[in-house]
Amino acid sequence: MLSRIALRSVAARQSTPTALIARTSASSTEVSGVRDEVNFPRPVRGEPGKVRLGFIPEEWFQFFHSKTGVTGPYTFGVGLATYLFSKEIYVMEHEYYTGLSIFIMVYYASTRFGPKLAEFLDKEVDNVENSWNAGRVNTIKSLEDAIASEKEAQWRAQGQELLIEAKKENVLLQLEAAYRERMMNAYQEVKRRLDYQLEKTILERRIAQKNMVDWIVANVTKAITPDQEKQALDRCIADLAALAKK
Amino acid sequence: MAIGDYPKEYNPAVHGPYDPARYYGKPDTPFGQLKLNEIGSWFARRNKTPSAFMGACSRAWWRWQHKYVQPKRVGIAPFFQLLVGSMTFFYIINYGKIKHHRNYKYH
Repeated sequence: MLSRIALRSVAARQSTPTALIARTSASSTEVSGVRDEVNFPRPVRGEPGKVRLGFIPEEWFQFFHSKTGVTGPYTFGVGLATYLFSKEIYVMEHEYYTGLSIFIMVYYASTRFGPKLAEFLDKEVDNVENSWNAGRVNTIKSLEDAIASEKEAQWRAQGQELLIEAKKENVLLQLEAAYRERMMNAYQEVKRRLDYQLEKTILERRIAQKNMVDWIVANVTKAITPDQEKQALDRCIADLAALAKK
Repeated sequence: MAIGDYPKEYNPAVHGPYDPARYYGKPDTPFGQLKLNEIGSWFARRNKTPSAFMGACSRAWWRWQHKYVQPKRVGIAPFFQLLVGSMTFFYIINYGKIKHHRNYKYH
């Protein structure tokens, strides 16, 4: 586990933050030459450096690791403190005990209220950053909205094309329907006229036939003489008599 | 170079935005990578004028600022560092008075 910590801190050390200050160049200095981006990259704001025990830089522990292992720096610290105490280089006078009590208070306060305070301050940092970014974010969002609405308008225009196509088709269908209706109309008119002609011809033939029959019958009855009538009656009586005998 | 000016070596056209934590002169071997017998010559090469010393202090201050104070989400570490540093400093400058409070004669 400790080796993992060591790896992590090595990785963190490789991305040590450089700087964040950007200032405009002074006019007094000579301005000439080509910008060297490789050796002098633009400074970026980094992550805070790692510390242990609240304030000791992680690099101090890393410095010990290759020589003494992971417990080395702690052993050194304890040994140094023991040396300073035992030789009274660090004198334990009254202020030392004041310091101890203050340390206990600070430790309690930082462990008890530190996380909450950190949460609150992080939120404040986010708020400030968001408020600084708000204008840009809003502009980007409005532009994106404009793009989206433009795309939608294009989509709708394509829909309009479809609609117009459908309308054209509809008009063609109506034309076809009108054409067929007129065709039907013409057919029916022709049929009506032909039917009229047919009926007229039939009627004429019937009338002519009737007149002819009437004329023939009249002429035949007119042509029968009383002689003939009598002969016919006689003949009929004779036939009846012949029938009656049978 | 007057007070408040940029270092002489700083050229905005080449170096871009000014980084107060950075030394813009010709870089020497870092102190941590020296061999023991090179330390003397390394110190001999140093510029020991007051302004250079002030520049070194200023760069150290800004390095500390950039690393522990200026990042977006810092903890309480820089305050504790400042506290411990000032405690040590004041202990040292007051050592002449404090040593009279020793409890033992022989160590």
